[in-house]
Amino acid sequence: MSETHDPQLLKGVLSLLLLHLLAERESYGYEVVQRLQAAGFADVLEGSVYPALTRLQREGRLETRLVPSASGPARKYYRLTTGGHEALAGGLGAWSRHIAAVDAVLSRPLPPSENGD
Amino acid sequence: MPHTITWYDRLRIERLVWSLDQQLYDLPRVQRIATRREVRANLLEAARDVGTREALRGVGGSRRLAEQFLTAEFGDNPRHTWIGAAYAAALTPLLLNFFLAEAANAFQSGVTATDPHATGVFTWSGVSWLQSAATYTFSDGTATSHGGGWTPLAYLLWVVITVGFGRLWRLRLRRRPAVAPA
Repeated sequence: MSETHDPQLLKGVLSLLLLHLLAERESYGYEVVQRLQAAGFADVLEGSVYPALTRLQREGRLETRLVPSASGPARKYYRLTTGGHEALAGGLGAWSRHIAAVDAVLSRPLPPSENGD
Repeated sequence: MPHTITWYDRLRIERLVWSLDQQLYDLPRVQRIATRREVRANLLEAARDVGTREALRGVGGSRRLAEQFLTAEFGDNPRHTWIGAAYAAALTPLLLNFFLAEAANAFQSGVTATDPHATGVFTWSGVSWLQSAATYTFSDGTATSHGGGWTPLAYLLWVVITVGFGRLWRLRLRRRPAVAPA
């Protein structure tokens, strides 16, 4: 799964994706990028993910801890706070309503085109 | 396959990290340092994984990355800039003093042009609104002077230019808690 995604669509759901991935298990920045890419978002750039993690931390949805690494500098692991879990639950509900509404429109039959095709 | 990080790779990563750091001066110092360390750690990890070239490409350049970090902290709305304020605060006195000194030199040159061997005390009212009066004491065409300092209005102008270039009024509009350092 290496197809590209609309950057605007991706920007809208990146926070939700990050919250869900980090609810599964805590991760450091580059690991989050790898997990996103493994999930099919191969065109997600680190330059988008790291600031998004910072924003979620500032908003109180993530907390961090430093873990020493044998291969280099200490890694900053992110995990969800209580507020983060609440935001994820709210986001999942909103996302479900959103795709249901979009599907309802996109599944309507289209009228025959005027050129008779 | 893991890539070996050479000194050249480290230099390339450090170049980006410090270039990023220079563009994050509007963040609180602790947060800026934490960001720098985190980006460096992630870049080293990525460089081992996919190579330095690809790791650097992934962050998209220091300017873009800095902009995203600043947006993450301050939001999409227009924001203040301490860097702009610092430049304005430093350069305004230099330019204003240069301008006032040139005006003072013009007065002095005017006196000696009239009489190359001028002797006596001459008072110049200074540049209107910006400068207090200056007194020149000439002795055979050679002058010493005192006075000519900034008026309160000049200081006010300095503050206004600094606030204007730094858009510091936006500080009043938004106060957010800083990110706690990890």
